[in-house]
Amino acid sequence: MGHKKKNRNVGIVGIGETKFSSHREDVNQPEMVHEAVRQAIDDAGIGLEDIDCVIHGNMELFEMIHQPDLWHTLGTGAYGKDAFRLTTGGTTGATLCCAADNLVASGMYDTVLAIGFEKLQEGHTTGGITNMADPLWARKLQSGALTDQAAVKLIFEFGEERAKRAAMTYRIIMDKHACLNPNSHRAFGLDWDQMDDLMKNSPPLIGNLRLIHMCSQSDGACAIIFASEEKAKQISSKPVWVRDHITVHREETLDLCNNYYPNQTTHRFAARELYKRNGIDDPLSYFDVFEMYDPSAWWGVDWLREFFLLEGDAHLKLVENREIMITGKMPVNPSGGVIAANPIGATAMVRVAEAAKQIRGDAGPHQIPRPVNHALASGFGGTMWTVLTILEKELNW
Amino acid sequence: MHSYFGINVEDIFDSMPDRFRPEGARGITRSFGYDISGIGGWRLSVKEGAMTLEKTDDLESCDVVMETDGETFVGLNIGKIDGMTAFTAGKIKVRGDFNSFAVTSRMFQRYLPPGQAMQKEQELISLKKIISVGQRFATGPVMGKFLKGLKDKKILAIRCPSCGRLQSPPREACAICRVRNDEWVEIGPKGEMRMMEYCYYASPDPLTGETRETPYGAIGILLDGCKDEEVFWHLLRPDQLDRAKMGMVFGEKVVHGSRLRPVWAQNRTGGIFDIKYFELDE
Amino acid sequence: MRKDFDVSDCYVQEGKLALPYSYFAGRVGSTFITTLRDQRRILGVRCNTCGKVFVPPRQTCERCMEDIRNNWVTLSNTGEVVNYTVVNYDDRHLPRKAPFILALIRPDGADTPMVHILEGIEGDKVQPGLKVKAVFSEKTTHTILDIDHFEPVA
Repeated sequence: MGHKKKNRNVGIVGIGETKFSSHREDVNQPEMVHEAVRQAIDDAGIGLEDIDCVIHGNMELFEMIHQPDLWHTLGTGAYGKDAFRLTTGGTTGATLCCAADNLVASGMYDTVLAIGFEKLQEGHTTGGITNMADPLWARKLQSGALTDQAAVKLIFEFGEERAKRAAMTYRIIMDKHACLNPNSHRAFGLDWDQMDDLMKNSPPLIGNLRLIHMCSQSDGACAIIFASEEKAKQISSKPVWVRDHITVHREETLDLCNNYYPNQTTHRFAARELYKRNGIDDPLSYFDVFEMYDPSAWWGVDWLREFFLLEGDAHLKLVENREIMITGKMPVNPSGGVIAANPIGATAMVRVAEAAKQIRGDAGPHQIPRPVNHALASGFGGTMWTVLTILEKELNW
Repeated sequence: MHSYFGINVEDIFDSMPDRFRPEGARGITRSFGYDISGIGGWRLSVKEGAMTLEKTDDLESCDVVMETDGETFVGLNIGKIDGMTAFTAGKIKVRGDFNSFAVTSRMFQRYLPPGQAMQKEQELISLKKIISVGQRFATGPVMGKFLKGLKDKKILAIRCPSCGRLQSPPREACAICRVRNDEWVEIGPKGEMRMMEYCYYASPDPLTGETRETPYGAIGILLDGCKDEEVFWHLLRPDQLDRAKMGMVFGEKVVHGSRLRPVWAQNRTGGIFDIKYFELDE
Repeated sequence: MRKDFDVSDCYVQEGKLALPYSYFAGRVGSTFITTLRDQRRILGVRCNTCGKVFVPPRQTCERCMEDIRNNWVTLSNTGEVVNYTVVNYDDRHLPRKAPFILALIRPDGADTPMVHILEGIEGDKVQPGLKVKAVFSEKTTHTILDIDHFEPVA
C-alpha cells in the first residue's frame, strides 16, 4: 500500500473526555459535546481562537439526527472555522484522529480539534447497525453488532473450559481496570470468585456471548487537539507524538458466518504492515500500553493474538497469567476498555486519548505504575475496519 | 426489618399501593413475583388497572419472577443501582421473560424515603419518535439475476476469473483481484453447516421495526460446490437449533457440520425469503 | 440513456427503514419548554460577552463560547417577522396542511429569530417587519408547538 513520510510531526496537546454513562438526560447533544471540547481546550491551556479547524463525527443513524455537525456548532466552537464531518462506523473516533493528524502534517492547519460523540440512549443501536448491511440480503439476517464467532473459534481451538475461563478472566481484568477509571460507565467490582457464577448465570445473547462479555451502550464525547511540532512545543510541556497510523478494511467479511480459519484478519494485516514500516520487530516488548477497541471479552482475547502477531496460545497465556493487567508486563486497556464504556462515535478516539494520557503520566487512578514511552491504540468497525495508531513520548524514531 | 442504604425492603413493598399509577398499568394483566433472598417473597398481581400485593413464598404460579438480594432490590428502587448493570452482573435473575419487569417502572411512582418526598427534581423533557421511511432498492443486473434464480429454486454464485473464488450472493467484482466477475455457476442447494449465530437477543427487523422472534439461528452454509470461505448466509429452521452441528476447519483439523437442505417458499418473489430457511437433510 | 450491460434482470425491491429514537432536550431546553407550557412565557438567554440574546436558548454562545445557561431573559410574546415562506406542498412531516406560512419570527427582546407557523394572514400580504403575537396551544406536546402559531397583532 502507498504510504509517504509526514511533511511535519504532529503532537497531541489537549484531551477532553466526558464521564460516560447510560444516559444524559440533563444535556442535549451539543451541550454534551461541549463538555469534552471545553476540557480539551482547558487541558491545552489555549483558547478556541487558537483552533484552525474542527472535525466532528459519530455513527450514522444512531441518534436519527441529520447533519449533527451543523447543529453541534453551538458546542464544538466551529463557528467561522473550517469544519468537516467524518463517519466510518465504529472506527469513527480513530479515523477522526487519523484525519486530524493528516490535516496538520500536510501543513494545511497548525491546530485541529477532533471531536467524537454518541448519545446511544437517544437511538436504537442494534437497529442502526443492522442498516449497514446490504438491504437485499444481509440486512435481514444480521444480528446487530453481536456475534458468537470469536467464542466458537476459541472454543474449537482451545477447548471449552480453557476458552471460557480466558474470556471471563479477560472480562474481570477489564472490570478491575474500569473500577480505577472515574469516567467508566460500567464498573461492577467483579472479583475472581465470581468467575464460575458469571460463566453460568449471566444472560446469554448469542451462543456463548453473554451479556457480561459485551460492551455497554453509553452516552459521552471525547475531544483531542492536534498541533504541528512547532505549535505543540509552544502549547504543551508534554505533547504526545503521533508516530504513524494505518487503516485497513475488508467489507466482505461482514458475512461473519464465515468459519474458514485462519483467514487473515484486517487486524493482523494492519499490525504487520504498520510494524514493518516502523521497524518494530517485537511489538509485545516495544509497547508499554495497548488501548484496544474490544467490543466483547471474546473478541478481546482473540484479537490480542492478531494485534501482537502472536502464534499458538501465547495470547491466552497473556490473559491467564494476568500479564495484561495494569501492573502486568503488557497492560491492555487500563481505562477498562470498550466493555466499560462505549459511546461508539467517541470510543475509538477514547482509545487514543487514554493511550496519550498514559504517556503523559496523568491518566489518574488508572495510570500504569511505570514509565510509558510507546503506546498502541486500535479502532474497530462493523465491516472489519481496523485503525491502528502508534503514539510516542519522544520524537526519536 | 431488612435495611439497606437506610431503607427497609418491607417499606418499599408496603408503599406499593400508594405509589401505584393505574394509567401506567393500563392493558397489563400479569403476576410478578419478587424473591428477595433470605428475606421473603411477594406476589404482585396487576389486572384491569388495579393491583394486589401479597406476601407469600409460593411464587410458582407467577408469570415472571425476579430473584435478587435485599441490597440490590433497595438500590434499584431508589436509583442507587442500575437495573441493567445488576442484571448483567447476574445480581438479578429473572425466571420468565426478562423484559417483562420493564413495565413495572411505569406502574409505580418512584419510592422516596420519608423526608425526601418534598425535593423536586427539574422536569426533563424527552421526546420519543419512530423514524419510518419507505425505501426502494435497485437490484442491479448481478444481484437481480441471483434473486430471480431463487424463484426457479436455483442458488447461483459468480466466479472470479482471476482467483477462481465463488461469491454468493454474487458481487459484480472480486474485491481482492479487482476484476469484474463474469462466470455464473449453480451451487448447492444442499450443503454443510459451518457457523451458527444462536441468537437469544431479539433485534428489530430494520425493514419493519418489529422485534424478531427468539431464539433464532443465523447460519453459514458451505453449499455443495463451494470451498473455504465461500459460505452462504441464511437461517436455520427454528425447531432444529439444538440439533444442528457446526463444522469447522482449523489448519489440519477438520470437523464436518450437519448436512442441510433449503426449504423453498410456495410463493417466490425473487427475494431472500424465497428460501424459508435451511433444515437438516435427514 | 444507453446501457452497456444487460438490464433484463434489474428490478426494484420495496423496503422500509423503521427505527425508534428519542431526544433529550437537556436542562436548558427543558426549562424553555416547561416555561412555555406552564407559564406561557418565551425565555431567551443573554451572552454577557457579546450581549446577544438567543432564542431558543442554548447553553453556550457559539461565537464567544461563553457558558450562558443561567442568564435567563423573559422575552415578549410579541415580535416581528424577519422572513417567511409559503409552503405549497403536503408531506407527512409538516405541521399543517398546505398552503401555510412558515416564518422566522424574532420575539421582542431577542436578537435571533426562530421558525414558527404564521396564521391569520394571506401569504401574499406578509411583509418583513410585520408585528405578530404568539397564540398558545390548548393541548401540550412538550415541544415548541406549545405555541400553536403566531398571528398579526390586530
